[in-house]
Amino acid sequence: MWKIVVGFLVFAALAMWLLSKGGDVDISGEKHGIDVAPHAASSASNP
Amino acid sequence: MATATLPASSAKGTPMTKEEKKVIFASSLGTVFEWYDFYLYGTLAVIIGKQFFSALDPNSQVIFSLLAFAAGFIVRPFGALVFGRLGDMIGRKYTFLVTILIMGLSTFIVGILPTYSAIGVAAPIILIGLRLLQGLALGGEYGGAATYVAEHAPHGKRGAFTSWIQTTATLGLFLSLIVILGTRTAIGEEAFADWGWRIPFLVSIFLLAISVWIRLSMNESPAFKKMKEEGKTSKAPLTESFGQWKNLKIVILALVGLTMGQAVVWYTGQFYALFFLTGPLKVDGATANILIAVALLIGTPFFILFGSLSDKIGRKPIIMAGCLIAALTYFPLFRALTEAANPDLAKAQAASSVTVVADPKECSFQFNPTGVAKFTSSCDIAKQVLAANSVSYENVAGTGPAKIKIGDKEIESYSSKGLPADEAKAKDAAFKKATIDELRAHGYPAKADPAKMNKPMIIAILTLLVIYVTMVYGPIAAMLVEMFPTRIRYTSMSLPYHIGNGWFGGLLPATGLAIVAQTGNMYNGLWYPIIFATITFVVGMLFVKETKDVDIYAKD
Repeated sequence: MWKIVVGFLVFAALAMWLLSKGGDVDISGEKHGIDVAPHAASSASNP
Repeated sequence: MATATLPASSAKGTPMTKEEKKVIFASSLGTVFEWYDFYLYGTLAVIIGKQFFSALDPNSQVIFSLLAFAAGFIVRPFGALVFGRLGDMIGRKYTFLVTILIMGLSTFIVGILPTYSAIGVAAPIILIGLRLLQGLALGGEYGGAATYVAEHAPHGKRGAFTSWIQTTATLGLFLSLIVILGTRTAIGEEAFADWGWRIPFLVSIFLLAISVWIRLSMNESPAFKKMKEEGKTSKAPLTESFGQWKNLKIVILALVGLTMGQAVVWYTGQFYALFFLTGPLKVDGATANILIAVALLIGTPFFILFGSLSDKIGRKPIIMAGCLIAALTYFPLFRALTEAANPDLAKAQAASSVTVVADPKECSFQFNPTGVAKFTSSCDIAKQVLAANSVSYENVAGTGPAKIKIGDKEIESYSSKGLPADEAKAKDAAFKKATIDELRAHGYPAKADPAKMNKPMIIAILTLLVIYVTMVYGPIAAMLVEMFPTRIRYTSMSLPYHIGNGWFGGLLPATGLAIVAQTGNMYNGLWYPIIFATITFVVGMLFVKETKDVDIYAKD
């Protein structure tokens, strides 16, 4: 079990480190349409 | 190939055997893949859109949008039927192998697919075809993983064993982040947008190879094997599952009394919380991502905790408690999130009154799950601008073009219907500027101030939301498996899972946004998960039976 815990922590730490370096990405999951232009993207994801 | 089967009745206290670990690992790898894809298509949506769809004419874009929507909402439940049926007829192992092959190859091919600039309209057609195919396979993946693991698990440990599958959502997210951000950091932003986006898709071939290799070495599940040896497999699982009331009513109960609530609690805890931070609360994307990732990191072990606990105290009390506590605490928690993440916004909302005066006939319910609908009336435009700036407002009936009243100031909206594009753009800019200037003057912040954020409190709230997710999700696979007999288990559990998660969960963001715009209160989107979680709680408490002690072989 301890190997899984350590592995998970290392894995998460790496993801977190990369996020802290340049993490402005969309992690809200797959879109239910197509993104065709920046304005379309914002209208689909903003209120 | 190994042929040993696992003892289905290992003692409760014994540690997991090597073979049992392999079963969980092999099954979970497929669902990691599923989640990895889920996040790839989100993170890379803008780049994919640019490479494959942006050169299409507007009508074609609408068609492709609808097809992409269908891939998630229609094809997946259909895949649950197709592969569920196969799984119940020919076996879990081979069906499970087919789903991962289709899913993996569909993902990999996207990585080598020429773009619109190279092969024209064939590119988006093939891409959408691959997504449809992938959606189909995905419909059979989760049910297969849950069934396979549960049928291998010793009695009294099914909750603990299957809960590992649920942790793969977090692993899939972290894996996608590592591959995408790692690639982007290594080759640079420009090269990533140009060709580097293909790498995350290509990398999936390694995940596929490992998955296939491991799954090939696995045995058929003991429950299915026994049933097959006795010649008791179903000849028509779909008819048995959905054509006979005694089974159909359990399928309906599994949907309404379990997966519907589980799905909305899950979507709220992870995706709506993220949207709420970056949208209404205006926290910058990078900070919000880290806050969510930390909450997931802390919360993920609770999947195992609640899965294991469900073997002792039952699945139903944990899932029902998760739905009830979530429904009761969402409003205070999200209000607390506002206070912690953007206190200036909370202050501005409390201090200034904003009203939309509009002809009610002009105001639509702005439900737009595919993103293809256009809302052009003056009322809809006014509400969009206010909602985008996290303004809570009152609706007052009036006549003529809609107006926004902020304090004493009145700003008239416009209708973009029939306007030439340039004129519409100019009016949009002028209206937005006038409204936003006035909002700033009344203390509405443009961004959440990082110096004023109470990050430990934000993480605590987000972690609590993730823990709700683990309460409803940790024991769900075991419970679904135990509700149905082996001969129709794969079919019967896959459909309610995908309808629950795909439809009720998947429509949460679009419905939440429409409710917010309609009512003028940024918290009102929470009514959607609250109502469905409450329905699940009531139906579940009244009609769903506890299953932890069910002998899954009894009805075979």
